[in-house]
Amino acid sequence: MTGGALDIKRILLRHPGVARLGVIVFLFIAWEIAARWFVDPMFLSPPSRVVASLHRVWQTPGVPAALHITLWELGIAFVLSVIIGLAVGLAVGLQPFARRSTMPIILLLYGTPQITILPLFILYFGIGPASKIAFGVSHGIFPIIVTIVAGVQNLKPILLVSARSMGASRWHVLRYVVFPHMIPSFFAGMRLAMTGVLLGVLLAELYVSTAGIGHFTTLFTQAFDPTKLLGLVAILAAMAIVLNEVVRRAEVKFSRWHMN
Amino acid sequence: MARRSGGRGCSLGSRAVQAAFLIVLVVLWYLATTRWRVNPLLLPNPVAVLRELGDILRSGEFVDDLRITLTELAIAFALATAGGIVTGYVISRAAYLIRVFEPLFAGIYSIPIILFLPLYVLFFGLGPASKIALGATIGFFPIVLNTIAGFGYVERMLIVAARAMGASDYQLFRYVLLPAALPVILTGLRMGFTVVLLSIIGSETIASLAGLGHRIVHLAEGMDMARMFAYIAFVVVIAVVLNMIVSTLEARGKRQ
Amino acid sequence: MTDDIAIRVRGVSHHFGEAGETRHVRALLDTSLDVVRGELLCLIGPSGCGKSTLLNVMGGLLEPTTGNVEIGGKPVRGPMPHDIAFVFQDNALFPWNTVFENVMLGMLFQGVAKAEREVRARRALEAVGLAGFTEHYPGQLSGGMRQRAALARALSLETGILLMDEPFGALDEQTRMILGEDLSVLLARAEKTIVFVTHSLGEAVFLADRVAVFSARPGTVKQVISVNEPHPRKPEFATSAKFTALRNQLYALLHDEIRKAVSQTTPATAQADGAA
Repeated sequence: MTGGALDIKRILLRHPGVARLGVIVFLFIAWEIAARWFVDPMFLSPPSRVVASLHRVWQTPGVPAALHITLWELGIAFVLSVIIGLAVGLAVGLQPFARRSTMPIILLLYGTPQITILPLFILYFGIGPASKIAFGVSHGIFPIIVTIVAGVQNLKPILLVSARSMGASRWHVLRYVVFPHMIPSFFAGMRLAMTGVLLGVLLAELYVSTAGIGHFTTLFTQAFDPTKLLGLVAILAAMAIVLNEVVRRAEVKFSRWHMN
Repeated sequence: MARRSGGRGCSLGSRAVQAAFLIVLVVLWYLATTRWRVNPLLLPNPVAVLRELGDILRSGEFVDDLRITLTELAIAFALATAGGIVTGYVISRAAYLIRVFEPLFAGIYSIPIILFLPLYVLFFGLGPASKIALGATIGFFPIVLNTIAGFGYVERMLIVAARAMGASDYQLFRYVLLPAALPVILTGLRMGFTVVLLSIIGSETIASLAGLGHRIVHLAEGMDMARMFAYIAFVVVIAVVLNMIVSTLEARGKRQ
Repeated sequence: MTDDIAIRVRGVSHHFGEAGETRHVRALLDTSLDVVRGELLCLIGPSGCGKSTLLNVMGGLLEPTTGNVEIGGKPVRGPMPHDIAFVFQDNALFPWNTVFENVMLGMLFQGVAKAEREVRARRALEAVGLAGFTEHYPGQLSGGMRQRAALARALSLETGILLMDEPFGALDEQTRMILGEDLSVLLARAEKTIVFVTHSLGEAVFLADRVAVFSARPGTVKQVISVNEPHPRKPEFATSAKFTALRNQLYALLHDEIRKAVSQTTPATAQADGAA
């Protein structure tokens, strides 16, 4: 008996990942116990039931379409954020005067609580996907602009001097010095932009939605159906994790020289 | 192509651009609503907005909503701070615990936790409890992560030196760990505050019966544009002021 | 005989900032110098004496407030990538490119035909001893190897003139010794005109054909010393009596200037020292 216990302890100690998994499992068990025996089933549902009913969530009419729409909103908002953010970031970052004058304005906008004007976005863009995309974009462009401007700024001047001394033209400098230097910053910005877009789109969805995922979260909440609600939220959380992971992996892959 | 040395910083020019930006914005707004006949249901007249703002402030209509929001904010932040710092300190005591829990917390924090709002509303109802619970949950993470970072990565040599001079556990904490960790923890508290504030306003906007966020939604539904704009301005100013206060406190704390 | 003079510097003065400002620094004062074709000329002097400034002026990276520079009879107005290659103290290798890519890129900027680039790159990297490290990123290499790579890049440009601004300044003494010996061997074969800025007395005597000693700020050439010793310099030269005598001579010339320079350093001017 002691031999077995020591082995487990050794495995746990050497692999924190295993211990972490253990913590997660423990939390799930605690959730299961609490939901089954201690909490009113109207408010909380045990994970076993949630998992078993996932297919029912999927089969609820409109849910797959809603997930589809939400994914589209996220995708379009992300792409737009990147394009606009990149354009503005480069325009501001490459020109010192533009940077000095407009960055304070941009930082001011970045710092204001955009959630206060969510109702305005809905009023202007309607209750359909457009407002979700717009709100997502307004959260996503700022990290990209800020990281790109910072990236351009921390380019060592000696690299520019060196390129000039070797006869590089303006185009050469942009293509071979500025752009490659900026890639890690760009990807870091994209990672933050994905977080922002997720936040913006989901907030807008939760606020008001006719066909998107927010419609069903409201529906399940009002119907006091914690099982389906937990299932839906779990699906959304998984989606968020996957999207974040994709961008994070891309960042690592394209910034290999940076990490060295 | 040779560079002339020297060149003056044009801070005057950039300030002028910023001022011009604000002025142009206000002018365009005014023109849009008066000359160009933009639908007042989309964009209210700035003068009307100012009038409503004055009315709100004078009549004290904002007091109840403000009190609710600030109370939710205070309680949620207090809970997040207590939970975050205690948990963070405990975990920071062992490198193993840090390796187990830090990625876990960082991972959870990477998704928009406000996503769980419907669950909290289902469980706690539409009242302040759900806002406080969600705010505390979201605020917990930056605080715990920064506390772990602060206490967990104190320069080894400082601890070794203190121990070598005979410091007790309490002395070590009070004179070495705490001062070393304080700047990072303060930053975590500031981040936590910002995040709790956003969470409270957000959850009030989405699902609430009272509070400043709810007030704005209520006015939007009633299409009372001028008053809504006034409240938005009010809330933004409050948020900015609160954040400035917290940032100043953070800086003050760090200087010592 | 103009053919023998590779670089002709006439009456170059330079100041940074405007007169009356706290930033105003007079870096160089009426400096004139002839660099003989094929020689290695060292510029040595106290901190802030303007030797790096002069190098930048020679290379067309900086327009002097007065005076002019001629390269092979042509006045210098900007970078001349076909005539001059630089090696900087901060090697200025692009961290996102491998060593090989860095060397190739230099030639692309200069305008070398694609077909020839690879040949030249391999040859240059072979010459500096980095043939086995072409696919490495600068971040993976030691300081000495990075400077070798920077040198390879400069060599591949096949310019007549090489301007080196304290290229070994950031390296430890042992690496400097080795690199200095290797540089001497390399240059014995290469027939280039080299201007080399350094702080190190020993390095100057070991590498140079002539050493131009600068005064403290505002800098001007105080004296030029000749080192009559054929290239490639043998390691034994560094311990010879001739070496010691020359080194002592430099020290005597420099000592007072260095003291003067140190007393000049105030917080306001300390920043400008970096520029010189």
